[in-house]
This record gives sequence, structure tokens and C-alpha cells, in this order.
Amino acid sequence: MTDVRAEMSASVFRIDASAGDEVAAGDALIVLESMKMEIPVLAGSAGVVKEILVKQGEIVEEGALLARLG
Amino acid sequence: MSSIWSAEIAELERRRAMADELGGPEKVRRQHAAGRSTVTERVTALLDEGSFEQIGSLAGFPDETGERIVPTNFVFGLGTVSGRRVVVGADDFTVRGGAADASIMAKQVDSERLAAAYRLPLIRLVEGTGGGGSVRMLERSGYTYVPANPGWDTVVDNLSLVPVIAACMGPVAGLGAARVVMSHFSVLIEGTSQLFVAGPPVVRHATGEDLDKEQLGGAEVHRRSGAVDQIVPDEPSALAAIRGFLSYLPSSVYELPPVIEGRPAAGDAESLADAVPRNRRQPYRLRPILDAVFDEGSVFDYTCYSGSVYTGLARLDGCPVGVVATDPYKGATMTPNGADALTRLVDLCETFHLPIVSLTDQAGMMIGLQAERTASIRRGARAVAAVYQARVPMAEIIVRRVFGVGGAGQVNRHRYNRQWAWPSGDWGSLPVEGGIEAAYRADLESSDDPEAMLAEIRERLEALRSPFRTAERYGVHDVVDPRRSRELLTRWVHDAYRILPELLGPPSFGTRP
Repeated sequence: MTDVRAEMSASVFRIDASAGDEVAAGDALIVLESMKMEIPVLAGSAGVVKEILVKQGEIVEEGALLARLG
Repeated sequence: MSSIWSAEIAELERRRAMADELGGPEKVRRQHAAGRSTVTERVTALLDEGSFEQIGSLAGFPDETGERIVPTNFVFGLGTVSGRRVVVGADDFTVRGGAADASIMAKQVDSERLAAAYRLPLIRLVEGTGGGGSVRMLERSGYTYVPANPGWDTVVDNLSLVPVIAACMGPVAGLGAARVVMSHFSVLIEGTSQLFVAGPPVVRHATGEDLDKEQLGGAEVHRRSGAVDQIVPDEPSALAAIRGFLSYLPSSVYELPPVIEGRPAAGDAESLADAVPRNRRQPYRLRPILDAVFDEGSVFDYTCYSGSVYTGLARLDGCPVGVVATDPYKGATMTPNGADALTRLVDLCETFHLPIVSLTDQAGMMIGLQAERTASIRRGARAVAAVYQARVPMAEIIVRRVFGVGGAGQVNRHRYNRQWAWPSGDWGSLPVEGGIEAAYRADLESSDDPEAMLAEIRERLEALRSPFRTAERYGVHDVVDPRRSRELLTRWVHDAYRILPELLGPPSFGTRP
């Protein structure tokens, strides 16, 4: 199980993956918005999305858990 | 054949052999079982083969039988790393867990003094508490004392004199933890090393927090804390990081950084023309830019905890430089930890006379409640002060944004620095986005079609944002084709190295950890 965390304080702009999706390393899971930029959160390794823990529009702090990969 | 001193020489060998047994086979076995090497194995792996010259190996205490002298739990001496002389001091966890009651503190103090006296880089492999008191010692000595950290005058002064590099090689607490962070570069090993002011039992007693070593001071804690610079996966990587870091630095503030034969960049200069997306909302990849600008294989990441603020060391035509840049995938603003990292990089470069390259993309200091709670403005202002106190040459390529106090202070804009901007450059005291509504509120409110008016104002301002308009007024020295970046910086670095000899000696301030 790999934790996917926010690298910065941001709001959740878009969610590109859902639980059960198979993803490759480098695939965008979620797009965060911070300081007028859209910053993709990428899968660090290939796997299956176990859960997405945030909703669109939600504010997250640096280090917040966004998703889990299995 | 017998000589006059043969008995003593034999005794010497016997005592040396006892020292080589460290804490005894059982303790060595336990050390290995925990996934950690012994002090001998580490020093051997760190240094060039056969170069270790140990000092004070005969020091120790008799064991319970009185037959064997158990060595003190601190091994130090001289050796070479890639042919360069260094001082190495390493804790031996197999002797009383590295605790102070099995040490002779003068050895640890002497390792610091040796580095200072001969102007040699100092490498500390720390494992244990390494110094302070223990309850056992209290009972033995029968009195308490007002503590002074051993050798701390030298430990502090060394930061302004010689490169000091430290690694957490196991659990590290108290004075040991302080010795790790009193350095120019520190590493922590994922899974087998932890760093804390006090370990779990003391914490449990004092605050009620019931945490294990890893939860209290493991890699997950320190990846974002800023207490250590890099997290590495294993011991060989820790030693490689130490050797790598050292390769950019001179042996003391009195010598020039070591210039080696230059290598072409690994990345393609052509790629720089496509590096930054036209859409300002889209991030770019930093790594390919670094690879296309600096010598192949020369980019060394410095701080892991700094978010979007990238700090590193690299070479241009073989000449070491400090690098500050932005990794937009890790955020858009300078976080308080990012500011601390910038302070640290600039101070390092000022101390050891490395010119600094800024690939500027700075949207300003972090904003919002969390930022204010963690003193974003003061920590950012401290970074800017470090930039202004540095005397080493700086050059900047404006890659994208320069906004706010943070952007304005990423390089010292009050002294002469070389400066070039890519066509993607975008600057001002505030970004236009979000500012229009505030600036034109009255006009917009009285308009029949505020949407159309907003769009029209935006278009007008967008045209003014062209970097060429700034260049027309010489508000930026030059706008350049990004593909020329390496060529321009390489010429600059040789100019910079010509003036470094004038700057040699102690830094413009006393270096702090």
C-alpha cells in the first residue's frame, strides 16, 4: 500500500482516478490548485487505486493523505 | 627475533586486537541483526581502501573480568575520500549503545579539534546519545554538574571553517542528535535510523505520548521536518551521499572549491525551448531543465524538506556552484521550510565560496493561515537576508515568475549580478490574476456588462506583461533564447571563479546550523 500525499497546501481542483483504476507510474490521479496553478498529483509507482480520500473543492494541507495505491 | 621493546610491541598488538573486537561478538551480532554495520565496517566503507589512521584506539575500560579492555565507543582518525584527507569520527553502538558512560569525551572533542587545526573536512557517523549524562554516571560520580556540551566551542566554530557532514547511523538522541544537525549536510537512513531530542521512554514519561522510535523520529517525520537534509534508503547510500556532498566543497574556507574536468550536459539544450508551457496554470518539469543546464551527473540534491524550493549543488564546466530553483510539481510558493532551505544553501555557498545560480521562478512566500502560523514572513525575510549577506557571485535565469517579497529577494537585486530571462518570464509586484477585480471594482460595478469589461481589461494588461516591454526599459538585462542558457552560465562561471580568491577566508557571518 502506498500513500499519496499533497506536496503543498492546495484545493482539490479535479479528480482523475477512482477506486479500482489500474494506474502506471506517472499517471495523474488528482489535480490540485495552488496559487493559480494546476498541479497534477502523480502515481509514484504502478498499481491499483485503493481509495481516493478527498473531494473536489476540498482544501488540503501539505502532507495530507489524498489517496492510497495498492 | 627479539628486540629491546619486543614485549611492549607485542602488548601493543594484543591491545589493538582487543579494540578491534568492539563490544564483543554478541553485540556485533545484534548490530548486524538490526540491519546496521559496525563502526569498523562503516569507516572502511567510507574511506579509500587502507587509508584509515586511527587515533586513540588503546583508550578503553576493563571489562568485569579485568582481562579485556573494552574500547571506548567513539572511533576517530584520519583517512582519505577520493584522495582527499578528512577526519572521521564514528560512534560504536556495540559498546553500551553508544552511551556516554562508556566514552572518554576527550576523543570526541579531539576529533573536532583535529579538523579545526589541520583545516580538514569532518565526517560524523553518529549512533547513540554520544555524549550527555546518564543516570548510571550520576550514581558513579556521586554529584551532579552544570552541563556544558563537550567541545561545543569547536563544534560551533567548525561550521565557519571546514565542511562538516553528519549521518544518523541508528537511533540518535540528545547530544548525538545535536551533533548531527550541527553540520552543513546531514542524512538519515530510512528504517534503520531515527533522530530525536529524547527517545520514546523519556517522551512517554514527560508528555504521555506513546510512540515508537520510528514514529517519533523516523524518515516519515523528518522528510518534511527540516532537521536533516536528505533521507537515504540504506547505509551505502548514506556514505555515498557524504562522499558526493564533499566533492563540491573545498577542505576549508581558505581553499577554493575543487574544480574538475568539465563534462557536457546530459540533457539536450534544444529541449529548453519547450521546457515551460505557455499556459501559466500548467507546471513544468524541473529535472530536465537541470539536466540540460549543468554538467552530466553533477546535480546533487541538497534539501529534501523544502517543497517547491529546490536547492542543490552542481557543476558548470567542472566548477562547483550552488543551485536554487523551483519544482512546480511540489508547489508554487516558498514555504517556511523552503525559506529555511534557501537560507541554508546560500549560507553554505557563502561559507565555502561557491557561486550561486538561481533558475528563478518564485511566486512569493507562502500565504494563508498555516503560513502565518509558521512565520512565513520572518523565515522568508531571513532567507532574503542570507541572500543579501552573501558576497559570492550570483547569476540568475528567470525561468518564469518573479512576484512578491520572496521573488524580489531570491537574488540580491541591489548588487551587480548577471541576469537573463527566458521568454516565459512573468513578473511584477503582484500577479494580474485576482488583482483586476480589486483594482477596477468601481468601474466593473457600474458597467452594464462586467464580464465583457473584465475580459477587455485582462487582454489590455496581458499585452503589457510581455517581457520584451520590460527589456525595452532595461528592466531586465536581457531576454534570451533558453537554449543558450548553459553556454551563458558556463562563461559566467569562469568569470565568477576569477574573483573567488579575493573572497577566501571566513564567511561574512558566523555560520549556524
